[in-house]
This record gives sequence, C-alpha cells and structure tokens, in this order.
Amino acid sequence: MDNNNTIKTEDFWNPEHIVEKFWNGLAEGKIYGRKCKECGAIEFPPHLACNECGYHETEWTQLSGKGMLKSFVFTGILNARLELEDRGLKYVCGEVQLEEGPAINAVILGVSKKKGREIESKLPLPVKPVFFDMGRYTTLFFEIDE
Amino acid sequence: MVNNVKLGKNLRSVSIVGIGATPFMNLIKNDTYHGLTNGELFGHAALDAMKDAHIEPRDVQYFFHGSANPHVLNNCITPNVQVADWFGMRGKGSLSHSEGCCTGYIALEEAVFAVASGAYDIVLSGACDMGTGMPDGNTPDHMRVELSTEVLFPDLDSIFDRAYGRYLGGGPGMNHDDWINLYAHENNLTPDQVDDVLNHQSYHMRRAGALCPRAVRRTTFDEMAKEAGYDDVWEYMKSPHNPKMTQYLRTSSDSCVADGAAACIVVPTEIAHEFTDKPVEVLATGASVLDAIVPHLEKKATAEAARQVFEATGLTADDMDLVMVNDFIGSSAFLAAEEIGYLPKGEGWKYVLDGRTAFDGDKPINTNGGRTSYGHAFGASGMADVFEAVTQMRGEAGLRQVKKLPKHVFLRGFGGAQNVRCSILRAGF
Repeated sequence: MDNNNTIKTEDFWNPEHIVEKFWNGLAEGKIYGRKCKECGAIEFPPHLACNECGYHETEWTQLSGKGMLKSFVFTGILNARLELEDRGLKYVCGEVQLEEGPAINAVILGVSKKKGREIESKLPLPVKPVFFDMGRYTTLFFEIDE
Repeated sequence: MVNNVKLGKNLRSVSIVGIGATPFMNLIKNDTYHGLTNGELFGHAALDAMKDAHIEPRDVQYFFHGSANPHVLNNCITPNVQVADWFGMRGKGSLSHSEGCCTGYIALEEAVFAVASGAYDIVLSGACDMGTGMPDGNTPDHMRVELSTEVLFPDLDSIFDRAYGRYLGGGPGMNHDDWINLYAHENNLTPDQVDDVLNHQSYHMRRAGALCPRAVRRTTFDEMAKEAGYDDVWEYMKSPHNPKMTQYLRTSSDSCVADGAAACIVVPTEIAHEFTDKPVEVLATGASVLDAIVPHLEKKATAEAARQVFEATGLTADDMDLVMVNDFIGSSAFLAAEEIGYLPKGEGWKYVLDGRTAFDGDKPINTNGGRTSYGHAFGASGMADVFEAVTQMRGEAGLRQVKKLPKHVFLRGFGGAQNVRCSILRAGF
C-alpha cells in the first residue's frame, strides 16, 4: 500500500526563507549572514551554499555591520542611483569589507563630492551600518564611522 | 570564489567558416532602415554567413538566436521561433539565449559546444538586438518608436540581482567606474591622466570606426573638433562637447546604442576547408560569472576566464595578435587587455597614450572601433566582434587592416552584470 498520499508536501520540503529573513532582519536592525559549516567563511548576503570553498551547507550568523571602506566612486548621469537621488541623498558607491570577512559593493551615505575628495587619501576608513527605510522595505547602507 | 575549473578538450575541433553582419545603425532615425524587424536583420546576417560559407539554408542543421533583451526591445521571449522562417530553417532545431551584452560571445561558445559534441555538423549562431527603439504598442513588428526613458531606466536594473544587490545598491553604482578607479589608484594616475588615457583611446577607436563601413559613428574626433571651432582636438575632448557621464567616462567613452545583427557558421575543423580557404578555429573558451555585488568583479572574472583559456590552449598573451573586448564601458578595452597580459602590467595606459593599441599600432584592440564607435547593439556586439576578428584574420579589413596578419585573436566578452567569456581564435592552418 502506498502511504505517500498521507504525507503533506510541506512536511518533507519546508526550506527556510533566506531572502525574506534577511530583509525582515534589516527592518529590525539585524544583519544576517550565513556561516560555512566546513570552512567557516561568512556568506554575505546570505545564500544556501558557501561561495568561498564550495561546500554545500551554511548556518545562520549575525554580523555587526562594521567594516572598512576600501575604495569608492562617485556616480554620474549614466550610473546614478535614482532611488537615492530622488531622496536628495549624498552618497558614493564603494567596496566595504565587513569585519567578519566578506566584502561587497555598497552604498555609503553622507559623502558629498567635497568630503569624498577629502577622505579619498585616507582610505581605508571604518564604516558602520545605516538601516535605511525605503518605504516598502528597509535596506542596508553604510556611513563613515567618525 | 573557487577557481578550480580546468577546461577539457573538445571531442572534436570546431572552426568558423562563414560570417555575416548587418551594419550597426539607428533604425529609429534612419529613414532607409526604419521599419526593418528582428527577423529581417537576423535573417540578413544569417544568410550572409551562409553565403560566405557557400551553403544554403537547407544545409544548416541547428541555430542559436542571441538577444540581450528580447522582451522589452521586441516584445517576445522566444525569438528563435519567430525568426526561423526568415532564413529557410522552419522546423529545424534552435535555441534562444540571453546573457546581456555578453550574448554574442556566448553565441559562439554555444555553437562550438553543439558541433564539438558531435551532435551537429553545420550550425548557425547569431545575435540581434534593436537597441534604439521598442514596439509601438501592440502592433506588427515594423512599427517601432524610440525607446523612452520611462521604459528604459527602470528596466536597466533588471540585470542586477533582485534578491539583494539591486536593493543594497552599491553594485549598480560601481558598474562603470570600479575597475578604472582601482587601476588609477594602483598606478598612481591622477584624474587628469585617466581622462587623457580614455580620450586617447576613444580618439583612436574612432579612427578605426571611421574606416569601418558597418560602424554607426564614423566622424572622427578631429572633424568634430573642427566643426565645433576647436583647433586642438584634445581640448575638444575635454570640453563640454564631450561631457562626463560618470566620474571617469565621458560621452566618447560610452557605448553608442545601435540596432544590428551578426552571425557565423561553425563546422568540424576536419571539414572546414570544404567551405572556405580561410577557416578560423575556435581553440577554447574560458568562462567566469560574477554578480555586480562582488568588488572588482570585471577584473576578477576576466582574470579567471583568461586563466582557463590560456591553460587549455597552452598559449600566452604574447601569442595574441589582436584583442577584441566588449567595451560598452570604454575603459574596459585597455584594462582587460592589460589584465590578460596583452599589455604589460601597469603600462597599458602608456600604450594607449602612445597610440599603440590603435588599429595601426603594434598592440591593436577593437579594430572595428569598439562599442564607442562601431556601436552597441547589446547582444549582437559580441558576434560583431567575431565578425571583425575573422575579417582581420582573413586579411580583408581594408584600410583598418592590422599591420601583422593575426594568427591568434583573443575575445573578451562581458555583460549582463556580469558574464565573462574569453575565447582564443586561430587562423592560418
């Protein structure tokens, strides 16, 4: 007799909602990543497997959001972030290496052209997280940790 | 990222025996071309490639259709089905693929796989994009209007990761200037020096484009400067006539959006001479893909794909006689050439300033003028590079023919935020 009919689909396949948890976490001021169960590398933003060593399994961890700004560029007509321009924000886009290891391209708020020119020779500079309310979701930007 | 890919040897060698290409053009503004459609452009490129290989449509067994954005630009999602009848391939097998601006290079890779596997002997691969316009509502294909910013701008972000990167925002903002910014810092170049390098590169690309009948921009910067009242072209290049579009890129280093198609025919190398006296072998293709959230992704992916193809072929950058680079970000041209070792580390910018990367220099790059002069029909641009590479290797490039007939050409495809392919072609066998 086939008992499979009695098994609910959700009982055998019920994965965590990785993306949803990440964005909900930002709304609560928490930064979630995943940690490789084999090499220990932090996968950020979080995915299922490890991109550092190629192992299949990771587990949840929380990040501080502190890191170092290593390089940045100003944007122009061609590559401006319209969602930031529309809000009248001063920003640059740059490489942020988080203190737990991973590096991402990120938005750094509060950097005008003048300030950008001043800080460029001082790189790398410490940054801290900014949990920014975009209306329908909260995103993660950074600012110089002065 | 784990860089442990070692390319295997294809089951059989594959060669290009036919090429075809439409000019790159602005269909919306050109009265002669306005009204032409995807099926017609792709069809002409395909039939030209078949004619070049001395075959008829009945001889082709399978084809690939590449397009960067068939949905927005042509309101279709399976263009292979919709173009097949245009060049006599109704009922044959085919495949649509779409990898942003890398599409045309992947078109070559896919066609090689299809023949190298033994599945097919004669394969057509082409790419077509109509970048200047969009469908005029729900109307037949010939009715097109200029692509509006209301449609274009929101859609541009669709190449960026929707789970995270698009909304964390840094990757899209770094897309154009990350690599040249890094290079400037690593090599202690001032903003003025970078400006000079990029302007010189654009200047020489345009000299090539001016000699290329299929290029969309063919007026030299000398002519443009004169018309604008400048005696010194370099003063013109830094003037408001050539404004900055990003921190580093002026209009002259930005791609010129165009409409166009290109195609090639590939067959097993062992029978290539039955189709042409000048076949071009596709030795191998290295591949690496990195999302825009990864810092310095273009440099990393280019290095990785180049490593793969050099290891697979046993060749080095010193063996390369010409490099074709997808340079819709203008700075990519010499940066990629330097990354793969075609130009000495830290010295590439000097080669550009000295004109050595021009079509008539000793280290030629993008002899069709690149995206800034030949134009950029998105997915089709890569296959247009294949067209140019084969043309140069046959010695048929006319006034823009490079000094040394190329035996090896290196292709660096890039696009879709971002796919990278590095292929090496060989001629003269």
